Amino acid sequence: MDVQKRILVMLILFGLMFSCKTQKSDSRDELTYPKAASDSTSLFPIRFRPKWQTQAQFAGVYMAIHKGLYAQHGLDVQLQSVLLTEPAVDALLQGHGDIVHVDLLNALDLCREQTKIVNIAQINQKNSVYLVGKKSNGINSLEDFRGKRLGLWRSGSNMATRLFLAQKGIPMEIINIDWSINLFAQNAVDVINAMDYNEFHQILQAGIDSEDLFIAKQQELGLTVPDEGFYVRPEFYKAHPNECRAFVKATLDGWLYAFSHEQETLDLVLKMMKEDNLRANRAHQQWMLNHMKDAIMPSIAEMGILKRKNYEEAMDLMIKYMGFPRRIPYEEFYPDAE
Amino acid sequence: MLSKKEDRTLAYQLISFVFAFMLIIFLASILVTRAFYNRVIMDNQLDNMRHLAHERIHLIDSILFRVESFATMSRTAILNYGLSEEQHFAFLSETLMENPQVHSICLADRVYEGKEPRILYTMRHRFYSRVIRGTEYRYQDWFQIPQMTQKPYWTEPWVDTEGKGEMIISYCLPIFEKGVNTGLIRFDIELGYLQEIISGSGYFKIGSSFLVSTTGTLVAHSNTELIMNQSLFSIAEEYQSPVLADLGKAMVSGKQGHIKINGKSPFGGTWVYYQPLQSNHWSVGVAVEEDVLMREVDTILMIQTIASILIFLSVAIIIYARTLNVSRPLKRLAIAADRIGAGDFDAQIPVSNNSFEISTLAQSFAAMQSSLKDYIRNLRITTDEKNQIRGDVIYASEIQNKLIPTNTTHPFGIKELRAYGILEPAGDIGGDLYDYFMIDDEHFCFVIADVLGKGIVAAMAMTMVSTLLPSIAPYYKTSNELLGKLNNFLCRNNIETNFVTALLGIIDLKTGRMQYSNCGHLPLFIRKMDRSYTRYPDTHSTALGVFEDMPIDYDEIDLIIGDELILFTDGITEAMNTKDEFLGISGFEEILRKLPPPNPETTAKGILSEVHKYARGATHKDDITILVIDYKHPTIS
Repeated sequence: MDVQKRILVMLILFGLMFSCKTQKSDSRDELTYPKAASDSTSLFPIRFRPKWQTQAQFAGVYMAIHKGLYAQHGLDVQLQSVLLTEPAVDALLQGHGDIVHVDLLNALDLCREQTKIVNIAQINQKNSVYLVGKKSNGINSLEDFRGKRLGLWRSGSNMATRLFLAQKGIPMEIINIDWSINLFAQNAVDVINAMDYNEFHQILQAGIDSEDLFIAKQQELGLTVPDEGFYVRPEFYKAHPNECRAFVKATLDGWLYAFSHEQETLDLVLKMMKEDNLRANRAHQQWMLNHMKDAIMPSIAEMGILKRKNYEEAMDLMIKYMGFPRRIPYEEFYPDAE
Repeated sequence: MLSKKEDRTLAYQLISFVFAFMLIIFLASILVTRAFYNRVIMDNQLDNMRHLAHERIHLIDSILFRVESFATMSRTAILNYGLSEEQHFAFLSETLMENPQVHSICLADRVYEGKEPRILYTMRHRFYSRVIRGTEYRYQDWFQIPQMTQKPYWTEPWVDTEGKGEMIISYCLPIFEKGVNTGLIRFDIELGYLQEIISGSGYFKIGSSFLVSTTGTLVAHSNTELIMNQSLFSIAEEYQSPVLADLGKAMVSGKQGHIKINGKSPFGGTWVYYQPLQSNHWSVGVAVEEDVLMREVDTILMIQTIASILIFLSVAIIIYARTLNVSRPLKRLAIAADRIGAGDFDAQIPVSNNSFEISTLAQSFAAMQSSLKDYIRNLRITTDEKNQIRGDVIYASEIQNKLIPTNTTHPFGIKELRAYGILEPAGDIGGDLYDYFMIDDEHFCFVIADVLGKGIVAAMAMTMVSTLLPSIAPYYKTSNELLGKLNNFLCRNNIETNFVTALLGIIDLKTGRMQYSNCGHLPLFIRKMDRSYTRYPDTHSTALGVFEDMPIDYDEIDLIIGDELILFTDGITEAMNTKDEFLGISGFEEILRKLPPPNPETTAKGILSEVHKYARGATHKDDITILVIDYKHPTIS
């Protein structure tokens, strides 16, 4: 048997083993992967920087790495640490990263003058931002927000809330904060910006009941622009379109695996968090994973796609309320548009 | 249901009863003990938990209050005494050196005009002062919250990367000068210091302590995995424990109390006492496993159980031994009773001195044995006498039967006559009589009589009548004379005042004329060939044996061919059915009407059969006597 035939047989056997294993666990695992490269030096290196520290919000990426899905797509993905001093998008623009997590509205905000970054995948298909106030502090309706102090992230996913307040015509005193919910717990701010999958649950885990809160869910109140997506610099995309698509494909497969193997995924996430000396509890990560599933996978067909309707709505709102100076064509911002 | 002999023994029943009774007492005692001791021991243990919590709270609060006072003194020094930066640093370095629990001190923002924020700390007895670069610190809780609330603030545990890089908690005191915020002083305590206090051993050796921050986060706990990773609420969520969430709410809201936590969480199966710190409003909890808490109760219950079993066993053995002692003479008595029952009246009654009751029973038994012996002896004599009398009666009955004529088709060979008689006494001997005999060759005499009463006296009277009549008949050829003589004889010789009813007739066999007298007896019936009958109800005197020389009348009847004379005693008319109704004369006449054509034997048997049928099932019985005579006139024949 010559060498080529031996390699072919080994590849077939490997493929069979993998397919058998995945069939047992979940039908969604019946995905076909390109053959794994035999030499890591031939893999295409990609530096991925998530927008926040290790947690189930990025479980798809972790599982894609852990299960070798990137390698099977010919990629060598380096998961970069988050630096509070350098937001992900800054890292991208500074050339410190290749692919980053950015919210759609924040990404658009960066492209006022020129299209500095382009979307290669819309991971979340909904707006996950809540604005939360305590009823005990007199916050019982959206109108009660007026003039109150709002704790809002000083960088990152803050554009949705700015747009929401402009859209609803509610002036608030914006207090820039980093990530802590303690300002809210200590009543230093009246209202806090919270992701449904993260900060909102942290508030609940601080012993504040949801019945005692007024919760403005932006998605339900009309701001349906989806948030998190993967972004690269346009020149990177032009140079490596296939690698960008492979990254997206492997990441989405990682998410599918994570959703169908929750406990395994949570075990990995908690392990990684402990290694990073982060506070970690299973209940919170379980909550986060469940909410990410709602956000990422309304249906398998929609996964990873920036829909034209969502994009145009975001564009319209940015122009109308945020003084956005121009209309960026859908295909320019989302080059993989079909 | 008792199925075996052993189950019915006195020992078994007593032990069973005592066991059941003691079981009830024991169970009630356990319930009462458990309820009572539960409360007492729970109160006691809660006191211990409360003391342990107080001890921990006192230790922590004393440190936190001390740090608060350092911060306040420092702020006062800046605001009121105008210390220079160097003088202030000297004061702070001295504070750091002399108070190892103070981990570091931070002077933030514009504490000193134009100066950058600094972090001060000691390491290996050397004083360090580092400038904090950048403005990132302005978005951290320790700076932002007191700045915004304008109040002192104790932080949640955090890691100061600008300092020694360890987990600390900080007391942050904002400085306001003439209403304007001019900076902030922060005093840090290493979290490990508090954790050591919480986990350290104290006077009260009970349970384990834990510390919870104002967000419910577990800041100190014996399980290091939980520290800073979990809050009481996250554990409550993970283990679906609403009670644990209630505990969390009570602790973060500064309440004190105790609660039992069930479930499989790290707090499952424990009692938790909780009380807040006075300084930063964190809360100290003391958790004790319920098993440990209740160990004393379980021990008491175990001792109680063993004691109860021992008591029961002792009582059972005593009862068994005592009942054996009591039942042994009883068994001997039972054997003696069996022998007496079998007829051995001389059986020895055992003598017992082991209890008054058994002794009394034995005496009673002996008395009963003696009485029984006397009774049986008397009974035997009486029975012998009775048997003698009975033999006499049977003999008398046989004599009586022999006095009655034997039924033959033609008495005395006289072809003109047919007679058939039946005497059915109610007992062995009776008081009824029938008889017929020839006075001479031409005269046939018949009689039926009923002596009042029954038994020997009646039988004697009957014997006298049946003996006397044939012997005097040849001298008195008329029925009235004959009966008059019998009457006088009875009056003179009848010991008892018995009287006798009688119907006596004499038939002249040549002429067919019948002369008869009825002395208080039932009517005479004469049946004809055509089955018709005539009743002759007239009596010619009262019963015999009452009035001496009593006049007695008579009647005469000319018999014709086929006339059938039917005589009977009151055993026929007074026969009763099951409704206690007499047959009566009318009933008798009813029987006569159903009878076949005249024939003495068939007529007598037919009457008897119908009377028996009427009285079937009735208890009352009387002597029954029937005499039927058929006369055929020779001339006519």
